[in-house]
Amino acid sequence: MPRTFDATDLSRRTILALPLGLAAAASGARAAEPKRGGTMVMIVHPEPSTLAHYAVSAGNIPPIATQVYEGLCTYDWDQNPQPNLAKSWEVAPDGKTITFKLQDGVTFHNGKPFTSADVQYSFMEILKKYNPIAPVMLAELVAVDTPDSMTAVLRLANPAPYIMKALSGRDLPILCRSVFEGTDVLQNPSANKPIGTGPFKFASWERGQFVRLDRNESYWKPGLPYLNRIVARFIPDAATRSAAMEAGEAHFAGYSAVNYADLARMKTNPILDLTTKGYEMTPAQSVLELNGRHPHLQKKEVRQAIAYAIDRKVILKDVMFGYGQPATGPLSRKFKTAGLYTDDVRQYDVPDRLDIANRLLDEAGAPRGADGTRFALHLEVNSFGEQWLRQAEYLKQALAGVGIAVTLRSEDTATWLRRVYTNYDYDLNEPFLSQGVDPVYGLNKQFLTSQIRKGVTFVNDTFYSNPEVDRMLGEGAREPDAEKRAALYKKVQQILAEDSPMIWLIDVQYVSVFNRRLKDHTTGPLGTQQAFERAWMDK
Amino acid sequence: MRLARFLGYRLLLSIPVVLGIVVLNFFLIHLAPGDAASVLAGESGAASPEYMEQLRHKFGLDQPLATQFGVYLLNMLHLDLGYSFRNDSPVGSLIVDRLWPTGLLMLTAFAAALVIGTLLGLVAATGRNSWRDALISLVSLVAYATPGFWLGLMMIVVFAIRLGWLPTSGYDTVGADNEGWDEVWDVGRHLVMPAVALALFYLAVYARVMRASVLEQVGMDYVTTARAKGQTEARVMTGHVLRNALLPVVTMAGVQAGNLIGGSIVVETVFGWPGVGTLAFNALQSRDLNLLLGIFFVSACLVVAINLAVDLVYVCLDPRLEL
Repeated sequence: MPRTFDATDLSRRTILALPLGLAAAASGARAAEPKRGGTMVMIVHPEPSTLAHYAVSAGNIPPIATQVYEGLCTYDWDQNPQPNLAKSWEVAPDGKTITFKLQDGVTFHNGKPFTSADVQYSFMEILKKYNPIAPVMLAELVAVDTPDSMTAVLRLANPAPYIMKALSGRDLPILCRSVFEGTDVLQNPSANKPIGTGPFKFASWERGQFVRLDRNESYWKPGLPYLNRIVARFIPDAATRSAAMEAGEAHFAGYSAVNYADLARMKTNPILDLTTKGYEMTPAQSVLELNGRHPHLQKKEVRQAIAYAIDRKVILKDVMFGYGQPATGPLSRKFKTAGLYTDDVRQYDVPDRLDIANRLLDEAGAPRGADGTRFALHLEVNSFGEQWLRQAEYLKQALAGVGIAVTLRSEDTATWLRRVYTNYDYDLNEPFLSQGVDPVYGLNKQFLTSQIRKGVTFVNDTFYSNPEVDRMLGEGAREPDAEKRAALYKKVQQILAEDSPMIWLIDVQYVSVFNRRLKDHTTGPLGTQQAFERAWMDK
Repeated sequence: MRLARFLGYRLLLSIPVVLGIVVLNFFLIHLAPGDAASVLAGESGAASPEYMEQLRHKFGLDQPLATQFGVYLLNMLHLDLGYSFRNDSPVGSLIVDRLWPTGLLMLTAFAAALVIGTLLGLVAATGRNSWRDALISLVSLVAYATPGFWLGLMMIVVFAIRLGWLPTSGYDTVGADNEGWDEVWDVGRHLVMPAVALALFYLAVYARVMRASVLEQVGMDYVTTARAKGQTEARVMTGHVLRNALLPVVTMAGVQAGNLIGGSIVVETVFGWPGVGTLAFNALQSRDLNLLLGIFFVSACLVVAINLAVDLVYVCLDPRLEL
């Protein structure tokens, strides 16, 4: 039976549901009447190198870019797609075509009307060719048909149920065809001066300081947005970022732009508040990768022993300051909403875990030497911030407890990435892995045999290769039936947890700090990475 | 006429110096492992090998080093600093945009450090072993030993968060769109803390050098002579001692003007000041080599120019020196 959406019904529901959901979610305050006007200053860190998030998927771009670019859909708190640039859609029974009816009366910031040609061009000529997530998310996309100017039909080689999760302005934004046509997409000037359909127009970018976005006076959603202006400020120093929030100079710092270490202090500040909402569709894990070609680490028992040796609660408390949860396996708990997460896997957080670890290491033929040491490893310290050094120090201490001597190696980002992903010259590595909106993204790139790709960062560098996992991940991607799909992914999670090609440490939880004057800022599961069209400033 | 010849000669001499720096920088920088393409791809989470090849080709990183060097040298001869692919912008305009904030910060800090430092040194020396001397010595010792970033953060806590007198960071109030004197006032308020954080260390150095230098001069015969002529103590100081005592300070200041460019990186980072320092730091982190080489080139030119200026100041201060 085809799934359909009735636009009028839905938009009414959306309009009714949003402010209510918000009041409960954001501040607990009673929903007040939104006021027009005002400038919202948000902190974005680090400063993006480009605003072309259709070609570069760095996490610091969408907070700015999604104010300008919109997608076909937005998502409600249950992560179901809701109409945006598409007012309704229909998935064919065989799952191989998705027909979108488009919103009429929408214009781009350059005055050009939005039509199905823009959808076709965005998907086929830009996203499929240049978007880093496209090799996974758009692998099955063959063509986009445009029977009329307000209808776009995605044609797929095989069913790809996960596409319905990736239609937001963050993941698959719709761009203006006439801006790009006939130019080199990667060199297009709109990379730094974006032109979209969104509630805010790009105004200026002072490098090293801020990006200014001004209200789109002819936005297609009547009455929106409320704010006159959004300024995204860039402050390189972590302590100064916190200070700008405390002094009331900035109103919003999402995506953990404020250090976890400072959050407790922020909480006590009467003008500020925190929320962990708005990251439901931004699952990520911090993990410890093990080089599967190392003579010791290629043994399953050794890998499991390391998994037993680490106390994730210590990392959660001392490194993440309580934000997040101890990871149980290869998927973040955030996939619970989609019904794909399971904790029915081998448990490493058990009372006698250290005894088990020691026994496993003895059995694996790595006995303790005269000084109590079994063998030595190097750990590459993640270069993206101070917290990773702290985590590395704990890991060193934890592994010393079972007789594994760890030497920390700190290098800058370029050197670190080169060492790990091109030269494979590492034993242990502690990256931070985004898992995308569907397991197909996070699991496939980490565990498929075909993803052992020398020189490509954040793919399979543990040399994990299991034909059964390869097969099931392939089937899982194409399975349109939700229950069968969940069963496949459950099995995959069980096998991976058993094999432990990497150690899953923490299901990461980002935090937003906001000024209490700023209302209705977090209106959906994409949080900071969707438009602040309903946000407003209380006087 | 003589000045013009001197300047011409010195400028001619500085060409091989700058050229040498350019060549050395180019090869030094290429010793660093990793390249811009891998950093960009790393930030993207994942990218295909084809995409990375595409990037490398676009950046010219797939060319042999000798070819890259040739292209670079040729560009430099046309005073073309190249293109920053990471920032999607010509290197020249990136640096020029940042030069004014950095220049403003450096000049303010430098001038404040020099003027106040010399004055404090003079006051300390004239009242040797008095409470003034002890106080100034103590303060300058503390200022000398305090790291700029710590001082910056403490000032932010006190003056921006607690007292709310000054803004925490940035160059001006974003989104305020001030004009005329309002803008000057706004920038001035933003400038106070970074300038103080940067100046304090140098202020301490100049105070100490000046004190020692004055004490050395007052023992000289010409001072005794001046006193014997019946000149007032104030006249002896300003007319005779000060000029001579300033020479070591000027030498020190000339050397440190180069340091100031480097020292501003930390202060610019703490205060989010949009200067060349943070630009250089980011360029290094992201292996944006064209940009980095451009900044090195501009800094080298600045240091050469400052040294030239110091030599000219010498002549003004001490007529015995000749061009």
